[in-house]
Amino acid sequence: MMDLFVWLEHTPIANTIRTVRWIYPGLETTHYIGLSLLVGGIMLIDLRVLGFARTLPLKSMIGLLPFVWVGFIINALTGGALFIYGATSFGVNHAFWLKMTFMVLAGLNALAFDLSVRRAKVDWVAADLPPPHVKTFATLSFVLWLCVVTTGRWMAYI
Amino acid sequence: MGFFAWLDDTPLSHWVAETLWAYPTLETMHTVGMALLIGALGLIDLRVLGFKPELPLLETQRLLPLAWLGFTLNAFSGTLLFVSDAVMFSSSYTFRLKIALIILGGLNAALLGRSVFQAPLGGVPVRPSRGAKWIAGTSLVFWFGAVICGRLVAYTP
Repeated sequence: MMDLFVWLEHTPIANTIRTVRWIYPGLETTHYIGLSLLVGGIMLIDLRVLGFARTLPLKSMIGLLPFVWVGFIINALTGGALFIYGATSFGVNHAFWLKMTFMVLAGLNALAFDLSVRRAKVDWVAADLPPPHVKTFATLSFVLWLCVVTTGRWMAYI
Repeated sequence: MGFFAWLDDTPLSHWVAETLWAYPTLETMHTVGMALLIGALGLIDLRVLGFKPELPLLETQRLLPLAWLGFTLNAFSGTLLFVSDAVMFSSSYTFRLKIALIILGGLNAALLGRSVFQAPLGGVPVRPSRGAKWIAGTSLVFWFGAVICGRLVAYTP
């Protein structure tokens, strides 16, 4: 595994990030903008499913998912580049691997949420009556993304 | 000794800077607050600009408490982070620009509240005016500008 990290750190992408002065701060800044779209959007959707701001139609709030996806793609790209740049240190960072674990769990949870929307026998979205298990997915989503942000921030300190 | 140097030597400043978990915890709080503030206010701005027309315009003000929660979290965590290294932050041009953008963003949000959310008498359906759209557009510029400046404080004079 370490060989892979060393190799990644010597790829042209990593070398470019290391040598061109503004790329690293630019990637970090873009990662924060993506985070705002991704986590901001998801928290709005989760809170709405849990009953916050009920006068906003549930269906159109779930319709914010494209913004969330844009944030996710921005952060997968910028995060991927940042990882390649520092692979040997990120690769052995416990906070980083915890963050990845929380991301996978959040992803599986989002998949379960999505399936509950698509496979619903009763159209609970239009009726604005999310079943209890969907509320559990929303709560889990909120907590898991908080964990992703927290472990991400702690990477510099562990 | 200047005010900021004095601030840097207060017990609070030492506590934030030297306690193992304080600084990262405040940073985490600042990041979550940012996501809440930008998520909620950004959605209102986008709605005023005409995105997601299926969201009832006046009802988007239900998201304002969330924006306020994010703002409060960030005013609190941001102040403590500032106190931990007051001389550095106060002398950073990027940080000063960030604060200016936050003040502009705040004034802007107050203007938006006046021009969009004060419902007209008689319940006439509201469509945002050109002026309101300008306010919403500049709001996005101010707040994303504040995020960018905040991240760049560590890399710029």
